[in-house]
Amino acid sequence: MACSCSCGKDTTTKLIYACAGAANTGYLADQVARKLNREGSGDMTCLAAVGADLSGFIQSAKNADKNIVIDGCPVSCGKKIFESRGLPFVHFVTTDFGVEKKKTEITQEVIDRVTGEICKAINA
Amino acid sequence: MKIQILGSGCPKCKQLEANAREAIAKKGIEAEIEKVTDIDQIMDMGVMMTPALVIDGDVRSVGKVLTPDQIAAQL
Repeated sequence: MACSCSCGKDTTTKLIYACAGAANTGYLADQVARKLNREGSGDMTCLAAVGADLSGFIQSAKNADKNIVIDGCPVSCGKKIFESRGLPFVHFVTTDFGVEKKKTEITQEVIDRVTGEICKAINA
Repeated sequence: MKIQILGSGCPKCKQLEANAREAIAKKGIEAEIEKVTDIDQIMDMGVMMTPALVIDGDVRSVGKVLTPDQIAAQL
């Protein structure tokens, strides 16, 4: 993961957080976040650390141009973590993309399709 | 008190360090200033934008050059 250093230049900082829960849909959220990171759509960072109130992660979230939170299901733990701390974010849930919790097999095709749809939405 | 300036050593990082030194002098307190340039160490602290200011292990600002007065208010 590259550092979005803002030294001496104007950069847009998009930070990506995935729920990475135990279900197939959490796995998908994690894989989509990693693919977005690899493709340069943003920098993946740690949702759990925000939930743990670690100061560096909180300050980074406060100052990012966009925080992209990808949850795996409508329980939306990531959304709740950000809301409870008053942090700005855009929200996605993998089950909104035709994926069923505990049912859909998470293939590379599914990862690619959901990544593409989220990528389009965050760059719109 | 320990103050850490996180960044690659670019002009903004140097300005933040200078401002921190000015804030310490204004307050008349003793503080150690450490510059952290190692990117892995910076990211381990959750800092995704530099420069960043850390006071006694607590990250106080990220991606900003705080003024001496703003830093002094946090000391």
